[in-house]
Amino acid sequence: MSVPKDKWDWEITSQTSYWGAGLRELWSFRHLLEGLVKRNFLLRYQQTILGPFWILFPPLLTLVTYVLVFGKLVGISTGTLPPVLFYFAGIILWSFFNDCFTGTATTFRDNVHLFSKVYFPRIIIPLSVIHTQLYNFLIQFLLMLLLVAYYWFFQGLRLSLSITILWFPVVLLATALLALGMGLFFSVLTAKYRDMSYVINLGVRLLMYVTPVIYPLSAVPEKVRWLVQLNPLSPLFEAFRLSLLGEGTVSAWQLAYSILFSAVFFGASLLLFNKQGDKLIDVV
Amino acid sequence: MADKIIQVENISKLYRLGTIGTGSFRQDLQWWWNLYVRGRKDPFFHLDKTAPPGIAADQIWALRDVSFDVKQGESMGIVGSNGSGKSTLLKIISRIVKPTTGAVRGRGKVSSLLEVGTGFNKELTGRENIYISGYILGMNKAEVAAKFDEIVAFSGIEEFVDTPVKRYSSGMYVRLAFAVAAHLEPDILIVDEVLAVGDADFQKKCLGKMREVSQAEGRTILFVSHNMQAVNTLCDRAIWLNKGQMLEMGPSSAVVNKYIASLQKLQLGQKWETPQEAPGNKFIRFKQVELIPHVEHSDGIIDVRTPLTVKFQFWNMLEEMSLNVGIVLYSYTGDCIFDLLSPALHCHTGMVEGECTIPGNFLNDGSYYITLTIAKEASIPVYNLDECLSFDVEDYRADICYFEKWWGAVRPKFPFRLENHQEVCQLSR
Repeated sequence: MSVPKDKWDWEITSQTSYWGAGLRELWSFRHLLEGLVKRNFLLRYQQTILGPFWILFPPLLTLVTYVLVFGKLVGISTGTLPPVLFYFAGIILWSFFNDCFTGTATTFRDNVHLFSKVYFPRIIIPLSVIHTQLYNFLIQFLLMLLLVAYYWFFQGLRLSLSITILWFPVVLLATALLALGMGLFFSVLTAKYRDMSYVINLGVRLLMYVTPVIYPLSAVPEKVRWLVQLNPLSPLFEAFRLSLLGEGTVSAWQLAYSILFSAVFFGASLLLFNKQGDKLIDVV
Repeated sequence: MADKIIQVENISKLYRLGTIGTGSFRQDLQWWWNLYVRGRKDPFFHLDKTAPPGIAADQIWALRDVSFDVKQGESMGIVGSNGSGKSTLLKIISRIVKPTTGAVRGRGKVSSLLEVGTGFNKELTGRENIYISGYILGMNKAEVAAKFDEIVAFSGIEEFVDTPVKRYSSGMYVRLAFAVAAHLEPDILIVDEVLAVGDADFQKKCLGKMREVSQAEGRTILFVSHNMQAVNTLCDRAIWLNKGQMLEMGPSSAVVNKYIASLQKLQLGQKWETPQEAPGNKFIRFKQVELIPHVEHSDGIIDVRTPLTVKFQFWNMLEEMSLNVGIVLYSYTGDCIFDLLSPALHCHTGMVEGECTIPGNFLNDGSYYITLTIAKEASIPVYNLDECLSFDVEDYRADICYFEKWWGAVRPKFPFRLENHQEVCQLSR
């Protein structure tokens, strides 16, 4: 009855692994990832009149609100930048982070019908969410470039292209990693405890107020600035504005802190996600 | 000699009821606090003292020490009643849930079809769903593209391929979903109860396709079904699971027969020693009723071929009376199949006995019960012995490749002539 183990291609035991599916296995499911991204797009705009334009309306509407409420009414300084550009940069990066995080934080709960019927590497689902949001972000980013162009030609805005533009992809990647890391971490929790989804909704709204989305870091009083700076998202937002609009308060150290935090948190969450993924299906 | 492609070794699966996933964070914290910090047992979930050692009352073995091998190209059926662990076993082999102990080893690509329409989304069109469902089931883009036309043709939805599936009839939906799965090309295909859906015509198509997959293409199939005929014809070997344990493994016909025999709720006879305890009234007391199946084959199952003899004996306390006995056969739904009256017999006090044989190849498959009626002077009821015998008639179809429930209350084999003459026939223009 004893068969040499190398005779078998695969083995299923009670052991769960931290490492999850190997890269080769993930690669074999690349078409699934692609298909899911396409599906996410199709589903979102099925039977809507304006279709993909809905990617652009929410940030524009938020922009109008922010300009009116925080710009005109409350009068928060946006430095030397036009409020429209300042807010819009914050809005699109925040909505990217927000949608990535909340979209992946209920992975197990939302896909239990799928996970309980067929096997594929579970990480594919959150990856497809990030992928979809990345496309959304890029479309919104194009709109932002149009706004910049408008201010350039008609309002006399002068931006100088500097080396900091290279931070843009780094910031985007770090934001995605942090959002995915948090999403994976909370997806394990929401699978077990339904209460967590309320915590997430509330928490993410509060998080926005300690992130320089509607205000520049420089406008934060010295006494509480450390609180905002502790938030690993803050340097990312400042660096994002610095790289695109040339204004932001961020040091290389702070940025390094954010990137390191994002990477470590993502790594730990990924291990947890892999380890728990196989067991959670009994629980969800 | 065929190679082993799957090896299942001592698989057990323990489900905990309650201890995890109780739903609220507070309860879990409390549980954790009590168990690890205070070193006490959980106050909510007590161990049952009467439970076997090692198993708490809130735990259930969905599977217990199941081991078997499947050879390359073999199709293996899994039978058992609801809750016997069939689906859990398939889920473990498909990598969806982890076993508690034991191991499954295998070679090659596994595709599992545990439900029809996995990954389908009602908002998307048929075309989009074919792709996404194909990917989810483990195909790559080129494979789906190559099979696309075949899938559409098999499901017969050509005109609707670009319509959202929410506008499909449920039949079309199921056909399309199965078509995608049927065109998978894994080394091992795992199928759970997909035949329970869809119309008769489609079921036939599915079974035909599965037979093709297993026999012509030499793929290995693990197949769970409640359709015993399908298991019998489609599978080489079968496993019988009961309450998580493997009761039987062997050639599918033998296992299926044993399983069916265990399901038959038979009451094939009742006997009373003295008139005092016997059912009846002051005129009649029954001594014995009996159903004797004349089973020709060894497995002892009453099937549609089996002649059945009904025997009865009763004490008669009526003097000089003409009696007749009726045998009323009901289907389990309570429909009367027939009411058979004996000729009248002029009886004295004493024992009356009789028998009647229901020929083989007469009843359709199903569950039946029999009521005996006694009447005097042709029409005056004396006594009815209600539901005194009950039995199941199993299906038997030698080589008929037709799997649905056979229609009709009875299934007699009357002489039937069908001939073919060599004559030229031409359709008029």
